[in-house]
Amino acid sequence: MNSRDLLPVHTGTVIEEDSLTLEQLCHACGVHADWVVSLVEESIIEPEGKEIQVWRFSGACLVRVRSALRLQHDLGVNLAGIALALDLMEELENLRAQLKIAGHD
Amino acid sequence: MQYKDYYKIMGLSRTASQDEIKRAYRKLARKYHPDVSKEKDAEAKFKELGEAYEVLKDPQKRAAYDRLGSNWKAGEDFRPPPNWDEGFEFKGGGFSGGDAGAFSDFFEQLFGRAGFHPSGREQHGSHMRGQDSHAKIYIDLEDSIRGSTRNISLSTPEMDAQGYVKVKHRSLNIKIPKGIKPGQHIRLSGQGGLGSGGGKAGDLLLEIAFNSHPLYRVSETDIYLDLPVTPWEAALGAKIKVPTPEGSVDLKIPANSRQGSKLRLKGRGLPGKTPGDFFVVLQIALPPANTERAKAIYRTMQQELDFNPRLPLGV
Repeated sequence: MNSRDLLPVHTGTVIEEDSLTLEQLCHACGVHADWVVSLVEESIIEPEGKEIQVWRFSGACLVRVRSALRLQHDLGVNLAGIALALDLMEELENLRAQLKIAGHD
Repeated sequence: MQYKDYYKIMGLSRTASQDEIKRAYRKLARKYHPDVSKEKDAEAKFKELGEAYEVLKDPQKRAAYDRLGSNWKAGEDFRPPPNWDEGFEFKGGGFSGGDAGAFSDFFEQLFGRAGFHPSGREQHGSHMRGQDSHAKIYIDLEDSIRGSTRNISLSTPEMDAQGYVKVKHRSLNIKIPKGIKPGQHIRLSGQGGLGSGGGKAGDLLLEIAFNSHPLYRVSETDIYLDLPVTPWEAALGAKIKVPTPEGSVDLKIPANSRQGSKLRLKGRGLPGKTPGDFFVVLQIALPPANTERAKAIYRTMQQELDFNPRLPLGV
């Protein structure tokens, strides 16, 4: 028997689409709610729900917020620049995925 | 301990101005930023660059570093000369931000270590929940198709009682739920950073990515397979066997199928409430004309078929 077989198996929960609250998102990324609000105002992330109290974020938002944080911290990019960079990065990723589907990877 | 040539890392001469240092950093940081760069060792290069900039952007640290002299070669075994830092004061330890777990022994020897003070992060009260931690894990397509248990290794920087950052390694067995998609997250409660003052531990958030598969490609919940077919199967139609992750199935190829045609097997993608589809992309393979018989058949087609694939090109 392998030693790793002795470890307990952890069962997590899958973060479903649009299930994270503002508080959970802030905690997950270690950022202030104000900063997340400014990302929403800049349309960098788009929560479900109109009022801030009922905002729900997706797992994809989580990835974007963390990228945004790194871009701001490491490269000194401002919010408009972050929005542009993330959109272009996403487009690039989609194009790469299409290339892969077309067998040109 | 190895000497690090911070000027060489940033591609600068020792006489570079502070402005030049800043510009070089910006340029290289964009080049090697792990979010942007596709270079294989981008992350290591980015960390090295961050360390070089941390020293060279600060006139005090830069002057102290310069005083070590310019005769050192990168990678050379290094001991700082006695009193090398006489007259310099590095306020509050070595770090002004950045990832405290990331700097080299060389840096720590010169500028000391400091507690982990991530800038702009939430910090309030003494009774505090631990930080959530993040990791990306790579699973196989089959793990998602059937559900599985994966063993993952994590390295987490943690602060010890003296405020030093130590990298802790641990291994976890994780249940991979059936039907998980690339880009989805699994939350493991209480497996993140430790809380302080009796606060709860944070969560561990795992982002799922798929290893590339020798046969299949995954897009969202759909699976794609390139399927080689013969010209007569494509032209005349055929019933052929197709591999899928859940075993082979019979597929009917309609007559007059073209190169690149997509055939859909509904619901045979990733499992879930609304399961994805399985797409077969036809790749027409030409039989080689390597025998007299094969050549004769090609010649017959040449004579008998009125076929010009370049018609749309106007020639």
